[in-house]
Amino acid sequence: MSALVRAVREVFADDVDDLLDVATDFGSTTIHVDSGRWTDSLEALAAAGATYFDFLTAYDELENGFCVIAHLSTPDASDHVLLRTLLARDLPAIATATSVYRGAAWHERETHEMFGIDFIGNDHLEPLLLPDGFSGTPLRKDFVLASRVVKDWPGAKEPGESQEPTTSRRRNLPPGVPQGWLREESTPPNAGSRHDKA
Amino acid sequence: MTRPDGVPAQGPVVSPRVHGVIALVEENCTSCMLCARECPDWCLYIESHTETVPATTPGGRDRSTHVLDRFAIDFSLCMYCGICIEVCPFDALHWSPESDYSEGSLLDLTHERTRLSGWRATPAADGPSDVREPPDPVSGS
Repeated sequence: MSALVRAVREVFADDVDDLLDVATDFGSTTIHVDSGRWTDSLEALAAAGATYFDFLTAYDELENGFCVIAHLSTPDASDHVLLRTLLARDLPAIATATSVYRGAAWHERETHEMFGIDFIGNDHLEPLLLPDGFSGTPLRKDFVLASRVVKDWPGAKEPGESQEPTTSRRRNLPPGVPQGWLREESTPPNAGSRHDKA
Repeated sequence: MTRPDGVPAQGPVVSPRVHGVIALVEENCTSCMLCARECPDWCLYIESHTETVPATTPGGRDRSTHVLDRFAIDFSLCMYCGICIEVCPFDALHWSPESDYSEGSLLDLTHERTRLSGWRATPAADGPSDVREPPDPVSGS
């Protein structure tokens, strides 16, 4: 067990339930902690030698909420861990990592902008990358991708066609685009009426 | 060495296996649309029409064939994943290591079929991966 993992385990010695998982995959150890113990865990890792803050970001786990993840390493890269926690989908908030790693400010700013996650204690969560006036959190999976709505799918044509067919033939649908995004919702003509009756 | 405009006089030396641009072998394309449908970026445009080929033998049947009218890849959207190349059943697409096609306007990064066919002259080298150096002791982990 690496010194970093040992340090985190010591923090959670009295309340093991908050240490949700420690797993090593493909040479990377991920420590999953309760979101209330985020700062404790960061402090323990920094004290145990993981003084190099690599990055902090998040990803959307749909109904499970949002995962916030931080990659921390010893300065000589001899040891590194991913610290992970899960936040509720409605009003996701977590304590800032800037009290331990000042360099996290920029990453929290971006994560706030892209996912709408609040970092309590970071008072400078200003927009960073998106255009002025942009509303929405584009890295959430429920964010509608404008380029998929505005543009016609080039694959809708059949071999031998130059334009999309205007006939009522069932159209091909672009893979991976969620239902409801496309301009003409390509459900069978009767689907709407069936829904109305229900 | 750089030119007065700041552009390096000589491009970087890259492996001949590099995925620089996608070349089109037009006569292999059957306009089957598979590449355009698989493209995750929607950056591949195909237009085609159907022509009838008269029967070549007495009593034979006329056949219809698809004729390509347009084949274009928008390299301002392309992320060089190579799925179109992988999915093509007729090897009508292949990599070329050329990468010297920057433009002043995004619109000019759409290569129509004549330009795509031009990249055929320099197919990317095939074969196993380049030998990897062992990871750097500092940045590797």
